[in-house]
Amino acid sequence: MSQIITLEQLKHTLKEKLASGARVVAPVLDGDMATFKPITNVEKASFEPRACMQNSIKEFFFPKHETLFSFVRQGNDVLLTDAADFDVEQIVVGARPCDAAALPILDPLFAWDYQDRFYQERRAKTTVVTFACNKSDAHCFCSAVGGAPDNTSGSDAILFDLGDGSFEVRAVTDKGTALFAGKTSESDKTGAACEPPKADFDVNSIAAWIRENFSSPLWEKVSLRCVGCGACAFVCPTCHCFDMVDEGSYNKGKRVRNWDSCQEAMFTLHASGHNPRGTQGKRQRQRLAHKFVIYPDKFKSFLCTGCGSCSRSCGQMFGVRPCLEALDKQGVKAQQ
Amino acid sequence: MENIYLPDPMEVLQVTQETGDVKRVRIRFRDPEKAANFHFNIGQFGIYSVFGVGESVFNICCSNSHQHEYIEFCFRKVGRVTERMWDVEPGDTIGFRGPYGNSYPMQDWEGKDIVFIAGGIAMPPIRCAIQYCLENREKYGKISIVYGARTVGDLVCRNELDEWAKYPDVDVLKTVDVAPTDGVAWDGRVDFVPTVLKDSKVSGDNAIALVVGPPIMIKLSLPILAENGIKDENIFTSLENRMKCGLGKCGRCNCGSVYVCKEGPVFTQADLKKMPDDF
Amino acid sequence: METELRNAIRKLLEEKTVDVAIGYGRVGVGGAVGAVFVTSPDEVDQLVWNNECRQNLAVHLTRPEIKALGKIAIVVKACDARAVVVLANESQIKREEIVVVGVVCEGVVKARFDGSNGEQFFEKCASCVEHAPKNVDVLIGDEAKAAELDAKNAPTAATSGNQAKLAKLRAMTSEERFQYWRGEFSRCVRCYACRQSCPLCYCNRCVADKNRPTRIETSASMKGVFAWNLLRAFHLAGRCVSCGSCAAACPAGIELDLLNLTLVNAAKEHFNYVAGEPGVPPLIGTYSLDDEEDFIR
Repeated sequence: MSQIITLEQLKHTLKEKLASGARVVAPVLDGDMATFKPITNVEKASFEPRACMQNSIKEFFFPKHETLFSFVRQGNDVLLTDAADFDVEQIVVGARPCDAAALPILDPLFAWDYQDRFYQERRAKTTVVTFACNKSDAHCFCSAVGGAPDNTSGSDAILFDLGDGSFEVRAVTDKGTALFAGKTSESDKTGAACEPPKADFDVNSIAAWIRENFSSPLWEKVSLRCVGCGACAFVCPTCHCFDMVDEGSYNKGKRVRNWDSCQEAMFTLHASGHNPRGTQGKRQRQRLAHKFVIYPDKFKSFLCTGCGSCSRSCGQMFGVRPCLEALDKQGVKAQQ
Repeated sequence: MENIYLPDPMEVLQVTQETGDVKRVRIRFRDPEKAANFHFNIGQFGIYSVFGVGESVFNICCSNSHQHEYIEFCFRKVGRVTERMWDVEPGDTIGFRGPYGNSYPMQDWEGKDIVFIAGGIAMPPIRCAIQYCLENREKYGKISIVYGARTVGDLVCRNELDEWAKYPDVDVLKTVDVAPTDGVAWDGRVDFVPTVLKDSKVSGDNAIALVVGPPIMIKLSLPILAENGIKDENIFTSLENRMKCGLGKCGRCNCGSVYVCKEGPVFTQADLKKMPDDF
Repeated sequence: METELRNAIRKLLEEKTVDVAIGYGRVGVGGAVGAVFVTSPDEVDQLVWNNECRQNLAVHLTRPEIKALGKIAIVVKACDARAVVVLANESQIKREEIVVVGVVCEGVVKARFDGSNGEQFFEKCASCVEHAPKNVDVLIGDEAKAAELDAKNAPTAATSGNQAKLAKLRAMTSEERFQYWRGEFSRCVRCYACRQSCPLCYCNRCVADKNRPTRIETSASMKGVFAWNLLRAFHLAGRCVSCGSCAAACPAGIELDLLNLTLVNAAKEHFNYVAGEPGVPPLIGTYSLDDEEDFIR
């Protein structure tokens, strides 16, 4: 037997959470664009699986902009005030499996010897409800990096759209069980995800090529059309590089952290003028190496869930998949 | 949970102008309890804030014998933060996070001969190790200090060089690229560091070299160290990649799979040969 | 037209007039059209021409990675050709060193939000009265057809497409308009896709990257995103050629071209200035005794 929930019951569950003071994040439609936003009215949200989201749920764990502490100068001394704790319950509904899968990938980074309170508090207080995919598109390649349309990694519960105004609920963690306790009914209907997307490249072979070809001219060649913006990094569920800057005045202000991207020339520019990654090829190499060599070396998983957000968002029609395909064709297979 | 990005307020105790654009600053924790519990290893770095302006990364440039009373760092006026830091005076407050990174294996170096090689502003990351060795003089063998800068006025810790030379079995070879012309007294050499290094008496496969400086100086010094029989695994350096967090999170300082902030800044020449040329 | 284009580029490469031709090819996921950099006559079959050729390739003319490839030929639509002219007027390129291959354009379609091809043409195309690019060295396509299309759009050019969208915004109260942009900018992540895909955002160090002192905050806070997007629009005043690259590249789907169009209209209204005419000095930075000054009180 399976557990099912109707759309009305799902909305009701979220309404109860909102009433209890929780923050609910769900996809909100604007034309054909779906954006994860905190909602106050569940009727404004869209509850259907979709392959393409304008943003990643990453920003509800690691926001694009957040205050780390504030300061005020008092005579010679400086009084520091720590940022407030994140102490509200958060429910993220409608995540794609490839988006949720980024969370367990990022966990060890934010806990690497030094505990990043900001990420971890949000992580502990958030329940992630995923919709299993019922369609994939040409950008998707989760199956090439160990994912799947019904992957539960990072989800507290996964919902399968039954197409009749109800969902099969599969709780994955205690948080997921608790959220849907008493909300579901038994049924003999079961949901299924779509077929895994296809990719005719082998990521491990490409990773091996990247490891051995740091100085390959191919990096510049495949990156020629990249204009060096941060769109790919900022829509990516796993990209986590950040900048720390002070805002305000000399006497009163705050230190904040902002998303940053290795694709921007400023990223590694030294005050002296030296830039170890002075061309787009070198910056693209860093991005791919970070995802497929460096991160696996350090944290045992690819820093990529194959969600395809980067290539969907790229104005120059680049992104991880086109880059992997180019490296595969012109690098890996050219050597064989 | 603790905020790893929150610096500690430090009182500026002393500011010493070393050159036209380099200052050395001595600071201590405003919180006496923090000061009493503070410990760092030689070669580690800190992240220093001018509140309202930002953070910069510098080595702790003194030995740790006074770590509960003060620490020191040197900076060159070259960017946004350091331009503002130039104006700090004793009594002011700056922020400190750290210590971060690995350190020089001072215990492993005991009983060995050591040559310290520095160029220009790179003296501070070596000064901490020199001070430590001299404070524990009996533990180390022959010591050679080779230090050069472009002009006499660019030498950091110039007065200390003469003090160091007074220790037994310590050889200080100081040099400048350009001879002083305007009557500036100079009792050192006029030559490039790698040339002067040839006269260092520290050699052999039991000797240690610590070399920090401009890439060209390091590049030309390495063959001489090799000629002197110093092995790659005994040649140490301290890298200076651009960093923000110092905690292995912000994703900026890596060279291949090595995060310089956590696994560095200290590397041996043998380590560097395995790393991609991304610095 | 595609064959004609390929032949023209092949000739330029064969005769070594240029070392690289920047054109369009099916390079993206599922054959999506993006820039290709053709360096050999054997590769010209990569080049395509169709209504998916959205990008303004002139953005590549000032990039060091591309300049390193040698002498350049570039494929342009009419709006892109105007950007090339501005780059020359502003001394960013030596016009005589570049071979500009213009293609008559009957409009390009927007990508859908999911990256796939839509059927809807860009708003800029609905009010386009310049289907054949001007100031080019080689022109591919039917000029008569282009003139016909120009004539068809001319009567409604000032009221259709983006002008219609802008008129709707201008009809709002300033509070409503502020709320509209607040909503749009709330999605801005400061990725600078707008800047990086704009041929005229060529500053070596953008004011947004300057930190000695910091001119505008780098954060994607509401203050930061307003500062950034407005500042960029102002920096393009009298320079923007309305190619729409910024809006097309925005991963958050913000219609940044409407901000720019406001200033394009202001330049036209107050100074009768249209960016992208050869040899015409820049609007901002050129002083004339006849300039309006009734705003000085």
